[in-house]
Amino acid sequence: MLRDTLRRETYLLRFSWAVQDFPKYVRLKRELRTELNATAAEVGMRQAVAGLGHPRVLADGYLAELDRRVPRWNTGSWSAVVTITVLTSLWTAYGLGTLSTLEQNGGGTSTATFLGATTTYTWTAGSISFATVLTWQLVVFLLLAFLVPFLVGARAWRLWPTSRSLQTA
Amino acid sequence: MDEPRDPQLLKGVLPMLVLALLSERESYGYELVTRLHDGGLDDIAAGTVYPVLNRLERDGQISSRLVASTAGPARKYYLPTTTGTDQLWATARSWRRLAATVEHVLDRTPKES
Repeated sequence: MLRDTLRRETYLLRFSWAVQDFPKYVRLKRELRTELNATAAEVGMRQAVAGLGHPRVLADGYLAELDRRVPRWNTGSWSAVVTITVLTSLWTAYGLGTLSTLEQNGGGTSTATFLGATTTYTWTAGSISFATVLTWQLVVFLLLAFLVPFLVGARAWRLWPTSRSLQTA
Repeated sequence: MDEPRDPQLLKGVLPMLVLALLSERESYGYELVTRLHDGGLDDIAAGTVYPVLNRLERDGQISSRLVASTAGPARKYYLPTTTGTDQLWATARSWRRLAATVEHVLDRTPKES
Protein backbone atom coordinates (compact mmCIF):
# COMPACT_ATOMS: atom_id res chain seq x y z
CA MET A 1 0.00 0.00 0.00
CA LEU A 2 2.77 2.40 0.98
CA ARG A 3 4.75 1.35 -2.09
CA ASP A 4 1.73 2.10 -4.32
CA THR A 5 1.27 5.51 -2.73
CA LEU A 6 4.96 6.29 -3.22
CA ARG A 7 4.86 5.11 -6.82
CA ARG A 8 1.77 7.24 -7.54
CA GLU A 9 2.99 10.37 -5.78
CA THR A 10 6.46 10.16 -7.33
CA TYR A 11 4.86 9.97 -10.75
CA LEU A 12 2.50 12.87 -9.97
CA LEU A 13 5.39 14.99 -8.66
CA ARG A 14 7.36 14.51 -11.87
CA PHE A 15 4.21 15.10 -13.91
CA SER A 16 3.25 18.29 -12.07
CA TRP A 17 6.72 19.77 -12.61
CA ALA A 18 6.54 18.97 -16.32
CA VAL A 19 2.98 20.23 -16.76
CA GLN A 20 3.31 23.50 -14.86
CA ASP A 21 2.65 25.49 -18.05
CA PHE A 22 -0.89 24.17 -18.06
CA PRO A 23 -3.47 26.57 -16.57
CA LYS A 24 -4.82 25.19 -13.26
CA TYR A 25 -2.49 22.21 -13.47
CA VAL A 26 -3.17 21.37 -9.80
CA ARG A 27 -6.69 20.37 -10.80
CA LEU A 28 -5.21 18.27 -13.59
CA LYS A 29 -2.97 16.52 -11.10
CA ARG A 30 -5.93 15.88 -8.81
CA GLU A 31 -7.93 14.35 -11.66
CA LEU A 32 -4.99 12.20 -12.67
CA ARG A 33 -4.70 10.92 -9.10
CA THR A 34 -8.40 9.95 -9.25
CA GLU A 35 -7.83 8.13 -12.56
CA LEU A 36 -4.75 6.36 -11.19
CA ASN A 37 -6.61 5.18 -8.11
CA ALA A 38 -9.54 3.94 -10.20
CA THR A 39 -7.25 2.16 -12.67
CA ALA A 40 -5.11 0.69 -9.91
CA ALA A 41 -8.20 -0.91 -8.40
CA GLU A 42 -8.46 -2.97 -11.61
CA VAL A 43 -4.87 -3.61 -12.71
CA GLY A 44 -2.67 -2.55 -9.80
CA MET A 45 -0.75 0.67 -9.31
CA ARG A 46 2.35 -0.51 -11.13
CA GLN A 47 0.45 -1.12 -14.36
CA ALA A 48 -1.73 1.95 -13.88
CA VAL A 49 1.35 4.16 -13.68
CA ALA A 50 3.11 2.32 -16.51
CA GLY A 51 0.06 2.84 -18.74
CA LEU A 52 0.46 6.59 -18.49
CA GLY A 53 3.94 6.50 -20.01
CA HIS A 54 6.71 8.91 -19.12
CA PRO A 55 5.41 11.89 -17.10
CA ARG A 56 7.18 14.33 -19.43
CA VAL A 57 5.49 12.79 -22.47
CA LEU A 58 2.11 12.82 -20.73
CA ALA A 59 2.61 16.48 -19.80
CA ASP A 60 3.53 17.25 -23.42
CA GLY A 61 0.30 15.54 -24.45
CA TYR A 62 -1.73 17.90 -22.27
CA LEU A 63 0.26 20.94 -23.34
CA ALA A 64 -0.16 20.05 -27.01
CA GLU A 65 -3.92 20.26 -26.49
CA LEU A 66 -3.61 23.94 -25.52
CA ASP A 67 -4.20 26.50 -28.25
CA ARG A 68 -0.95 28.25 -27.45
CA ARG A 69 2.10 27.97 -25.22
CA VAL A 70 1.90 29.72 -21.85
CA PRO A 71 4.58 31.11 -19.50
CA ARG A 72 6.27 28.86 -16.92
CA TRP A 73 5.91 31.02 -13.82
CA ASN A 74 7.24 28.35 -11.43
CA THR A 75 10.44 27.95 -13.43
CA GLY A 76 10.76 31.74 -13.56
CA SER A 77 10.39 32.00 -9.78
CA TRP A 78 13.00 29.30 -9.21
CA SER A 79 15.42 30.98 -11.62
CA ALA A 80 15.03 34.28 -9.76
CA VAL A 81 15.41 32.65 -6.34
CA VAL A 82 18.56 30.79 -7.43
CA THR A 83 20.09 33.96 -8.89
CA ILE A 84 19.35 36.02 -5.80
CA THR A 85 20.66 33.21 -3.55
CA VAL A 86 23.92 33.00 -5.52
CA LEU A 87 24.39 36.79 -5.42
CA THR A 88 23.58 36.94 -1.70
CA SER A 89 26.01 34.08 -1.00
CA LEU A 90 28.79 35.80 -2.95
CA TRP A 91 28.14 39.09 -1.16
CA THR A 92 28.08 37.37 2.24
CA ALA A 93 31.27 35.42 1.48
CA TYR A 94 32.99 38.63 0.42
CA GLY A 95 31.85 40.36 3.62
CA LEU A 96 32.99 37.50 5.86
CA GLY A 97 36.34 37.39 4.06
CA THR A 98 36.80 41.12 4.57
CA LEU A 99 35.92 40.87 8.27
CA SER A 100 38.30 37.92 8.65
CA THR A 101 41.08 39.96 7.08
CA LEU A 102 40.32 42.87 9.40
CA GLU A 103 40.50 40.51 12.37
CA GLN A 104 43.88 39.15 11.24
CA ASN A 105 45.11 42.74 10.94
CA GLY A 106 44.09 43.48 14.51
CA GLY A 107 40.75 45.15 13.70
CA GLY A 108 39.74 48.30 11.92
CA THR A 109 37.39 49.50 9.22
CA SER A 110 37.27 48.80 5.50
CA THR A 111 34.96 50.02 2.77
CA ALA A 112 33.96 48.60 -0.59
CA THR A 113 31.96 50.37 -3.27
CA PHE A 114 29.73 48.75 -5.89
CA LEU A 115 27.52 50.80 -8.19
CA GLY A 116 27.96 53.79 -5.91
CA ALA A 117 26.77 51.90 -2.82
CA THR A 118 29.40 51.87 -0.09
CA THR A 119 29.61 48.99 2.34
CA THR A 120 31.53 49.61 5.54
CA TYR A 121 33.07 46.63 7.35
CA THR A 122 34.06 47.13 10.99
CA TRP A 123 35.95 44.82 13.32
CA THR A 124 36.77 46.25 16.73
CA ALA A 125 37.13 44.77 20.18
CA GLY A 126 33.53 45.80 20.95
CA SER A 127 31.72 45.20 17.68
CA ILE A 128 31.66 43.37 14.40
CA SER A 129 29.46 44.81 11.70
CA PHE A 130 28.95 45.64 8.09
CA ALA A 131 26.46 48.08 6.67
CA THR A 132 25.55 49.21 3.16
CA VAL A 133 24.17 52.53 2.06
CA LEU A 134 21.84 51.83 -0.86
CA THR A 135 21.93 53.82 -4.06
CA TRP A 136 19.37 53.81 -6.85
CA GLN A 137 21.90 52.09 -9.11
CA LEU A 138 22.23 49.17 -6.68
CA VAL A 139 18.44 48.97 -6.28
CA VAL A 140 18.04 48.85 -10.07
CA PHE A 141 20.75 46.16 -10.27
CA LEU A 142 18.99 44.04 -7.64
CA LEU A 143 15.64 44.48 -9.38
CA LEU A 144 17.18 43.42 -12.69
CA ALA A 145 18.95 40.49 -10.99
CA PHE A 146 15.50 39.32 -9.93
CA LEU A 147 13.43 40.28 -12.95
CA VAL A 148 15.69 39.11 -15.79
CA PRO A 149 16.05 35.48 -14.60
CA PHE A 150 12.38 35.49 -13.64
CA LEU A 151 11.14 36.68 -17.02
CA VAL A 152 13.61 34.59 -19.03
CA GLY A 153 12.99 31.48 -16.90
CA ALA A 154 9.24 31.98 -17.20
CA ARG A 155 9.43 32.52 -20.99
CA ALA A 156 7.37 35.65 -20.41
CA TRP A 157 7.26 36.40 -24.13
CA ARG A 158 4.68 33.62 -24.41
CA LEU A 159 2.16 36.10 -22.99
CA TRP A 160 2.00 37.68 -26.41
CA PRO A 161 0.13 35.59 -28.95
CA THR A 162 2.14 34.51 -31.97
CA SER A 163 0.82 34.83 -35.51
CA ARG A 164 0.39 31.02 -35.51
CA SER A 165 -1.78 31.01 -32.38
CA LEU A 166 -3.84 33.89 -33.77
CA GLN A 167 -4.47 31.83 -36.90
CA THR A 168 -5.68 28.84 -34.87
CA ALA A 169 -7.83 30.97 -32.54
CA MET B 1 3.95 -8.28 -39.33
CA ASP B 2 1.87 -5.09 -38.94
CA GLU B 3 3.51 -1.76 -39.71
CA PRO B 4 3.89 0.44 -36.61
CA ARG B 5 1.06 2.97 -36.52
CA ASP B 6 1.96 6.58 -37.32
CA PRO B 7 1.12 8.55 -34.14
CA GLN B 8 0.39 11.66 -36.19
CA LEU B 9 -2.33 9.84 -38.14
CA LEU B 10 -3.90 8.65 -34.91
CA LYS B 11 -3.68 12.05 -33.27
CA GLY B 12 -6.00 13.55 -35.86
CA VAL B 13 -8.77 10.99 -35.43
CA LEU B 14 -8.50 10.10 -31.74
CA PRO B 15 -10.96 12.78 -30.52
CA MET B 16 -13.49 11.50 -33.06
CA LEU B 17 -12.99 7.90 -31.93
CA VAL B 18 -13.33 8.90 -28.29
CA LEU B 19 -16.58 10.76 -29.03
CA ALA B 20 -17.86 7.80 -31.06
CA LEU B 21 -17.20 5.29 -28.28
CA LEU B 22 -18.64 7.57 -25.61
CA SER B 23 -21.77 8.11 -27.68
CA GLU B 24 -22.29 4.32 -27.60
CA ARG B 25 -22.14 4.38 -23.82
CA GLU B 26 -20.52 6.46 -21.10
CA SER B 27 -17.14 5.27 -19.83
CA TYR B 28 -14.44 6.20 -17.35
CA GLY B 29 -10.86 6.79 -18.48
CA TYR B 30 -9.35 3.35 -18.17
CA GLU B 31 -12.47 1.63 -19.50
CA LEU B 32 -12.33 3.86 -22.55
CA VAL B 33 -8.70 2.88 -23.10
CA THR B 34 -9.61 -0.81 -22.97
CA ARG B 35 -12.49 -0.20 -25.39
CA LEU B 36 -10.06 1.47 -27.79
CA HIS B 37 -7.79 -1.58 -27.41
CA ASP B 38 -10.71 -3.86 -28.15
CA GLY B 39 -11.54 -1.72 -31.17
CA GLY B 40 -8.13 -2.44 -32.69
CA LEU B 41 -5.97 0.33 -31.26
CA ASP B 42 -4.19 -2.19 -29.08
CA ASP B 43 -1.03 -0.11 -28.70
CA ILE B 44 -2.69 3.08 -27.50
CA ALA B 45 -1.64 4.20 -24.01
CA ALA B 46 -3.82 5.72 -21.31
CA GLY B 47 -1.40 8.65 -21.38
CA THR B 48 -2.51 9.39 -24.95
CA VAL B 49 -6.22 9.27 -24.17
CA TYR B 50 -6.40 11.37 -20.97
CA PRO B 51 -5.20 14.64 -22.59
CA VAL B 52 -7.83 14.17 -25.31
CA LEU B 53 -10.55 13.67 -22.69
CA ASN B 54 -9.35 16.79 -20.91
CA ARG B 55 -9.45 18.82 -24.12
CA LEU B 56 -12.90 17.57 -25.10
CA GLU B 57 -14.24 18.38 -21.65
CA ARG B 58 -12.67 21.83 -21.71
CA ASP B 59 -14.26 22.48 -25.08
CA GLY B 60 -17.65 21.41 -23.78
CA GLN B 61 -17.86 18.39 -26.09
CA ILE B 62 -18.09 15.90 -23.25
CA SER B 63 -19.34 16.16 -19.69
CA SER B 64 -18.30 14.10 -16.70
CA ARG B 65 -19.73 12.84 -13.44
CA LEU B 66 -18.21 10.99 -10.52
CA VAL B 67 -19.76 7.61 -9.87
CA ALA B 68 -19.12 5.67 -6.67
CA SER B 69 -17.79 2.18 -7.21
CA THR B 70 -18.08 -0.90 -5.03
CA ALA B 71 -14.75 -2.16 -6.41
CA GLY B 72 -12.59 0.78 -5.43
CA PRO B 73 -12.57 4.57 -5.55
CA ALA B 74 -15.10 6.71 -7.42
CA ARG B 75 -14.73 6.81 -11.20
CA LYS B 76 -15.15 9.78 -13.48
CA TYR B 77 -17.55 8.84 -16.28
CA TYR B 78 -17.64 10.80 -19.54
CA LEU B 79 -20.54 11.34 -21.95
CA PRO B 80 -20.78 13.51 -25.10
CA THR B 81 -22.75 16.72 -24.84
CA THR B 82 -25.02 17.95 -27.63
CA THR B 83 -22.10 20.00 -28.95
CA GLY B 84 -19.90 16.91 -28.84
CA THR B 85 -22.46 14.82 -30.69
CA ASP B 86 -22.82 17.49 -33.40
CA GLN B 87 -19.04 17.68 -33.62
CA LEU B 88 -18.85 13.88 -33.95
CA TRP B 89 -21.23 13.84 -36.92
CA ALA B 90 -19.43 16.71 -38.62
CA THR B 91 -16.00 15.14 -38.10
CA ALA B 92 -17.25 11.72 -39.20
CA ARG B 93 -18.60 13.22 -42.44
CA SER B 94 -15.26 14.94 -43.11
CA TRP B 95 -13.39 11.76 -42.30
CA ARG B 96 -15.48 9.67 -44.68
CA ARG B 97 -14.98 12.19 -47.49
CA LEU B 98 -11.23 12.28 -46.85
CA ALA B 99 -10.98 8.50 -46.56
CA ALA B 100 -12.82 8.10 -49.88
CA THR B 101 -10.48 10.56 -51.56
CA VAL B 102 -7.38 8.89 -50.12
CA GLU B 103 -8.67 5.47 -51.16
CA HIS B 104 -9.40 6.75 -54.65
CA VAL B 105 -5.87 8.14 -55.06
CA LEU B 106 -4.21 5.07 -53.56
CA ASP B 107 -6.18 2.81 -55.91
CA ARG B 108 -4.43 4.46 -58.86
CA THR B 109 -0.92 3.95 -57.47
CA PRO B 110 1.09 0.83 -58.42
CA LYS B 111 0.45 -2.06 -56.07
CA GLU B 112 3.08 -3.29 -53.66
CA SER B 113 4.87 -6.36 -55.05
